Amino acid sequence: MPSVEVNHISKTFGSVRAVDDVSFVVNPGEIFGLLGPNGAGKTTTIRVLLDIFKPDAGSVSILGGAMTEAKKNLIGYLPEERGLYQDISLDRCLTYLASLKGLNPGEAHQRIGEYLERFDLASVRQKKVKELSKGMQQKAQLIVALVHQPDLIIIDEPFASLDPINTQMVKDLLLEQRSRGATILMSTHQMHQVEELADRFVLIDHGQAMLYGELETIRRDYSSNDLLVRATTPLPPLPGVIRTEPHNGAVKLSLAPEVSPQEILGMLVARGICVEQFEIAMPTLDEIFIRVVQGRKEDKA
Amino acid sequence: MKKTWQILTNEFISVVSRRSFIVTLLMVPLISGIIMLVVSVLGKDTQQMVGSLISAPVVAIHEGYVDHSGLIRLIPPEIPAGRLTAFSSEEAARQALLSGKISAYYIVPQDYIESGEISYVRQDFNPITGISQAEFFQTVLRFNLLGGNQELATRLGQPLVLNKVSLAPEPERDQNNLMTFFLPYGVTMLFYILIMTSAGLMLNSVTTEKQNRVIEILMASVTPLQMLVGKIVALGITGLLQTVVWSASGWILLRISGSSLSLPASFQLPTSILIWGAVFFLLGYAVYASLMAGVGALVPNLREASQATFIIIIPLIIPLIVISSLIENPHGTLSTVLSLFPLTSPVAMMTRLASGGVPFWQLLLAAGLLAGTAALTVRAVARMFRAQVLLSGQSFEIRRFFRALAGKAA
Repeated sequence: MPSVEVNHISKTFGSVRAVDDVSFVVNPGEIFGLLGPNGAGKTTTIRVLLDIFKPDAGSVSILGGAMTEAKKNLIGYLPEERGLYQDISLDRCLTYLASLKGLNPGEAHQRIGEYLERFDLASVRQKKVKELSKGMQQKAQLIVALVHQPDLIIIDEPFASLDPINTQMVKDLLLEQRSRGATILMSTHQMHQVEELADRFVLIDHGQAMLYGELETIRRDYSSNDLLVRATTPLPPLPGVIRTEPHNGAVKLSLAPEVSPQEILGMLVARGICVEQFEIAMPTLDEIFIRVVQGRKEDKA
Repeated sequence: MKKTWQILTNEFISVVSRRSFIVTLLMVPLISGIIMLVVSVLGKDTQQMVGSLISAPVVAIHEGYVDHSGLIRLIPPEIPAGRLTAFSSEEAARQALLSGKISAYYIVPQDYIESGEISYVRQDFNPITGISQAEFFQTVLRFNLLGGNQELATRLGQPLVLNKVSLAPEPERDQNNLMTFFLPYGVTMLFYILIMTSAGLMLNSVTTEKQNRVIEILMASVTPLQMLVGKIVALGITGLLQTVVWSASGWILLRISGSSLSLPASFQLPTSILIWGAVFFLLGYAVYASLMAGVGALVPNLREASQATFIIIIPLIIPLIVISSLIENPHGTLSTVLSLFPLTSPVAMMTRLASGGVPFWQLLLAAGLLAGTAALTVRAVARMFRAQVLLSGQSFEIRRFFRALAGKAA
């Protein structure tokens, strides 16, 4: 049973079609990426599957069916528009929001204490939320999303306004949650973060799903017949190589369609070249995204 | 139910622990107490106080009169000796006034019986105490017009000693006391303020959560109905708490200063007004608080809410505008219609109840209609809470509000 099943949902605001016939499935225990540029329809999709918005068409199944009050306790949500009560203490704010997720006061107090220690916020727990820095509030918001140990975690732009240290901490936290068995749906426009964490993803642009599937499969599908080679000496001209160009200290070789990487490797070894790096050049998600969006524009034109 | 309770307690604690709430709660009785203390210490009635502001008070009143008509032959026995001196001419009276022997004098012209005109001459300008002094000379004139018949003069001075008897099955209140007259005004204003204050707290709560952007987390945790009901009940209790504190302190102040303000010690509200008052307050509050929550859901911030708020509270203001008609004719068509129509009934019915004698079936009907409206409003606004309006940040339009209330996409 999938954790989330989105079937052909559409949502229109006035004359803007924010989500247009989007479908995808999130499997239990995976980190799933919901990708797309700003304004692509990611947040609207999340709000539809959380039952905050009703879709104009299509259906959503979450944790095995329609959203219920009990299921809300099994979901942790970090919205893109971060929000906490500003005029009360951090401790009271977190305790109240945790209690709305079904935690009793004792449990809430204990778990919040653990997270505050871990996030280095224990010393400011009695301070008013508005007195905390943006980064601190971001971490507090993460505590709200995770404190009740949800089965499904939905996080919208989790790395926004985090420094590299805290970004790494959040990544570790998400991997830890996955190893605990939680399913994670992560929405972001930062493609490289998804490459690092996600197992599968859907890419949305202008409300429509442009790519959907396993990360590696999609990269392979979009890879051309290119190689990345790093050697101790300059590479000689090789038959079957159409073009060479420098690439991050290595050389990117574009091969003719009939030439295989193994043949090139054989040639290099035969010529006594000391090879330090030899790999098939896979496109990054950024490159794939640009190709998809540009292709769409060309189709429209 | 548990989450509704959690929202309720959080909302209640948030409001009552706010400094502004505590200050308002304590300052109103404190200021009232200070005012009452000042008034009772000074021991003056308002007229005297205002009069003394315009000119120095007359300490010992010795006045004179010049009677050209020959009417005044006797001075009533209740007028102390030396209080009033007769002068044969206006010149003599003027001299006495200028020399300070008298503070003022009256001139009764020859044609007084036909014209009724009396001139009152004094050195300074004070229209207020002038009027009060003239009453004393009226007694003199009345006594002489009736040929010196003291009993008749007293009766003419107060021809009607009205003894009001109410057949309504209420504990008998002192119908002759001034408070009986002011009670409907007081109750009406109290209700208006109470409902508006509590509904205002609701508007503030929703817009704050929108501005803090906590609303999205809340909606991912609770149902819109849980959120709305929790808030409505919590802020209603807050309003009642405020009323109880203010009423109790008012009651204590009245008791303490009862003698100086000439209030009957047994002054009390009929029990039925208190019970029906609670019913109409709770239901009326539920309607207006949910409407305010609806406004809060639609406006991007509190500043933009004032226009919307005014439109929403118009029905509540109508009974205040026509309050005199309601009190003078508490069972007329206007009073009956306004006290049955759900949006005006919370205030209008209280005005009628305080005036007395509302048929029981009308109370039941009004409460039933109001309860139905409250249920529909809460449901309609809860629907608005789940709609995209809550997160849209668009500016407020009244048409959009009513469309959303009717269940159409906003």
